[in-house]
Amino acid sequence: MSTADRTDVLVDRYLSDLDAALRGLPAARRQQIIDEITEHISEGRSGLQHDDEVGLRELLDRVGDPDDIAVEEAVDYPRPRTDAGDAWVPWLLLFGGFAFGVGWFVGVALLWWSKTWSVRDKLLGTLIIPGGLASLFIAMGGLVAIPARAETCTASGGPLVPTTTHCTQSGSSLSAVVAILVAICLLLAPILVAVHLERVRRRA
Amino acid sequence: MVPGNEYAWVAQLRRGAAEHCVLALLRHGEGYGFDLARILVNADGLIASEGTIYPLLARLRRHGLVETTWRESGEGPPRRYYRLTGAGEESLALFADHWKVFRDAVDQILNEGDAT
Repeated sequence: MSTADRTDVLVDRYLSDLDAALRGLPAARRQQIIDEITEHISEGRSGLQHDDEVGLRELLDRVGDPDDIAVEEAVDYPRPRTDAGDAWVPWLLLFGGFAFGVGWFVGVALLWWSKTWSVRDKLLGTLIIPGGLASLFIAMGGLVAIPARAETCTASGGPLVPTTTHCTQSGSSLSAVVAILVAICLLLAPILVAVHLERVRRRA
Repeated sequence: MVPGNEYAWVAQLRRGAAEHCVLALLRHGEGYGFDLARILVNADGLIASEGTIYPLLARLRRHGLVETTWRESGEGPPRRYYRLTGAGEESLALFADHWKVFRDAVDQILNEGDAT
């Protein structure tokens, strides 16, 4: 490869790096910056005593890191953020379930769409607990429907013997304790996860 | 202060200063990107690199502080020349006033800190 070819490759590579760094900006702005930098480089090259690789590398160093240029450009054009819905996520995960469950699914979709959270956080948010606090209410509804203490009575006796009724209590205070513990977990777990997601969001 | 972001304020300060230094450079006549970039880079760290002048100039233009014209250059392709607008002059005058007050106030407090 001749020297001229190699220097052209350097310029091409620089410009394509710049193009990549500018991704996410409006196409017209991106093209304008590329044009201006291209011109700047050719202007600089025409001023070089020797248009060799060393001179060109120094020139490109002075033009600067494409990322710096992109950051400067992004001051006026904030990159389209994928985290616009982030603020909603902890709330939707907690309370969205009350909106016929739909809100919770929206929360999960936003959670996975966002780049704010790690996969671990996303799994936590999704699995603890599907439906959020609405699940607690559904579970409590279930507990009320199935009484913790059920009384079963059997009548014995006959026409001649006074009828006696034996009542036995099935279910125990133990199962009530378990039910309460489960309810507390159902209450705390999604709240803790939501708090965690919110803290990660604030830190981001 | 947010850890890992402690130099964000330096970037902000530098950006505001660099923008108005460009306006100051254009005070006495028009200029073009390549020259402005060289001057600002040589003025120790006012802009991070020559290439960052272009986003800065575009910003000044969008805010109506400079206007541009294309002009043939002796050699090479036509160049885009930048010139101050009325709004640009006002902005520069305002900045110069604020800068002086700001610089004096900060200097005074920094130096008091030295004395104790």
